[in-house]
Amino acid sequence: MNRLTFWRLLPFAVLVVFTAPLLIVLSSLFGDYSENWSHLFQFVLFDYVSSSFILVIGVSILVLILGTVTAWTVTSYNFVGKNIFEWALILPLSIPPYILAYTFTGLFDHYGDANNLARLLLNLQNSTVIFPNVRNIYGAIIVFSFTLYPYVYLVSRSAFINQSRSMKESARMLGLNQFQVFYKLALPLIRPAVIGGLMLVIMETLSDFGAVDHFAIQTFTTGIFRTWYGLYDIQTAMQLASLLLLTVGVFYIAERSTRGSGIYTSNNSTFSPSKEDSLVGYKALTAFLICFIPIFIGFILPIIELILWAYEVNLEFFNQKFISSSINTLSLSLVTGMICAGLALLINFSIRYKPSALVQRFSSLLSIGYAVPGLILAVGMVQLLVYVDALLLSGLDIVITGSLIGLVLAYVIKTYALANSSIESGYERISSSLDDSSKLLGSSGWSMLSSIHVPLLKTSILTSVLLVMSDVVKELPATLILRPFNFETLAVSTYIYASEERMLQAAAPAIAIVLIGLIPIVFLSKMIRSSRPTH
Amino acid sequence: MSNLILEIKNLCHSYSEHALSIENINLEIGSGDRVSILGPSGCGKSTLLRLIAGLEKPDQGEIKINDIKVSDNKNLIPPEKRNIGLVVQEKALFPHLSVFENICFGIKKNKDKDLIASELLNLLKIDSLKNKYPHEISGGEQQRVALARSLAPKPNFLMLDEPFSALDEDLKETLYKDISQVFSDMSSAILLVTHDRNEAEIMTNKQIRMEEGKFL
Repeated sequence: MNRLTFWRLLPFAVLVVFTAPLLIVLSSLFGDYSENWSHLFQFVLFDYVSSSFILVIGVSILVLILGTVTAWTVTSYNFVGKNIFEWALILPLSIPPYILAYTFTGLFDHYGDANNLARLLLNLQNSTVIFPNVRNIYGAIIVFSFTLYPYVYLVSRSAFINQSRSMKESARMLGLNQFQVFYKLALPLIRPAVIGGLMLVIMETLSDFGAVDHFAIQTFTTGIFRTWYGLYDIQTAMQLASLLLLTVGVFYIAERSTRGSGIYTSNNSTFSPSKEDSLVGYKALTAFLICFIPIFIGFILPIIELILWAYEVNLEFFNQKFISSSINTLSLSLVTGMICAGLALLINFSIRYKPSALVQRFSSLLSIGYAVPGLILAVGMVQLLVYVDALLLSGLDIVITGSLIGLVLAYVIKTYALANSSIESGYERISSSLDDSSKLLGSSGWSMLSSIHVPLLKTSILTSVLLVMSDVVKELPATLILRPFNFETLAVSTYIYASEERMLQAAAPAIAIVLIGLIPIVFLSKMIRSSRPTH
Repeated sequence: MSNLILEIKNLCHSYSEHALSIENINLEIGSGDRVSILGPSGCGKSTLLRLIAGLEKPDQGEIKINDIKVSDNKNLIPPEKRNIGLVVQEKALFPHLSVFENICFGIKKNKDKDLIASELLNLLKIDSLKNKYPHEISGGEQQRVALARSLAPKPNFLMLDEPFSALDEDLKETLYKDISQVFSDMSSAILLVTHDRNEAEIMTNKQIRMEEGKFL
């Protein structure tokens, strides 16, 4: 194969591998429908649809309120703690919804820590319950909203920053008060950005397995899991997965389309950033609470609970099992990070080196994995590996089903988009004239990649590896299904302990997941600090 | 005319269906010739250089370098195989390499690379910058480094695309003098693209005017 063909074919070859599990899942729609499907259709499918619908609506409303109001508060007002809140408001992103769900039940169950503390402080009887039960759909709405609102916060904040001061001042001169400027002018103007963030939240909500399983809510993901592991019917599980995949596909397309539509912001040379009003007294306290409460519920409270649990078991958690699942997690995430970064580097290079509109269009499809629920990916991957074993490797003495290959491949498909976004933005900063000079001086292809691009993209490559690692560490359903027998990661350990209601033991792996999840938050908070407008 | 280094016949190129950027260009440059193409911004000068360098493919016509056909509408010999030097306005120095490493970039496999680089550093009066990085030196110094880097592989044809336009007038005068001296000591053919008539007259001995993709 000559060099030209290699660089042109690479994105297509990767696309085939990335979409194969999804196509296998979708192909089940055209297969036979078993009795289990009729049973599901008659008795539980409506429950899956209705609870998923209620979850999506509830979470959407709450994240819209939390995300936009906090973003407006930190961009429009100056108050005590504002500089910290600007970046601290994204901290809940480091806590996966299932870990918040575990800590919520630990806090708010009948004999949970919050109820115990309240009874102690108020000198109440043991039968009295202050905080309501959270093991229901409303509890799930709160859990998802307080872990996912940063998606809306991030896009809203950056859109509010880009709104011009003169526009808001004109609105005030025309008779609008501060609140009216927010909901009649500023909010409608950032609608496209907010919708993009909201679509991500909805996709994450529909993809979750750990939190809804813990709260025993019947959704598509729990249904897929039970159909497979309870009824041992992978065909019906795939048919259910297809319905969920098509639903997520709609939100994925909606999210992609909002990227093209511009945010209505001032882009002229006379643009002046919004001026922050200084707040004092009860107004400052209100602004402080608006920002503090989401951080408290979404980050501080679960962290305190996890630390208390870990403290209660002393250092017992630091055992052989914890060390081996930590090593497993770190090695898997590091390998995935390196594969993703390497692929993203090669594909972005191929697009730059041999530009073609077709290749560019197909390459953007490679990021589709981030929208696909881990559970669906796992279902498709198992089938794919079974086919590969049966058709390609049957003559050899090799079986890849149940090995780490499928798990790593699923991780790569799911997290490639993260690596790609980092490498893509790194490439945007390298002038094409450097490539021209390199070619004229005799360095093209691999030589240009290794001697010019890789050294200049060092930071982007490192960032992409870290971003992928922090996401892999959190991934639960794909790991649960695709892991080899007796192979545990931190997420799996947390899930197993929590499902056995051994919360104290679940604390250590959960804390480790949160700590690793803080890595991208550090990068994001740096970006947030550097994006502050100058007056 | 001396030995032909560059021969262009009926060259046409457009970036889109409706915009013809180069129209029926014919040009011959011999060994040691110093030619400039003068014209306003957007007239197609830089596109012509990119076509000669092999960074773009022509729609029609052909380009020969040292009597070898390097481009027509079917075949394209890649830039790295043409032995051509190109210096551009934005210098395009590799930011992660020192001045010395930038100069050696195109002659990595040459066992005399240290000697060649030292000679060029001396010739272009940038010896003291040897270990500095591009961001640590001035625009004029960067342009000298870019020129040294292009000259290191000893191309028999060197192209310069508005190399001095981002520099101030005093600096330009010094560079014209120094670089003209360097050019007069070498046998390479030079093709300069500029919109500055004064620069064209000082640096080259033949000027061609170009407008709207055509030679006048």
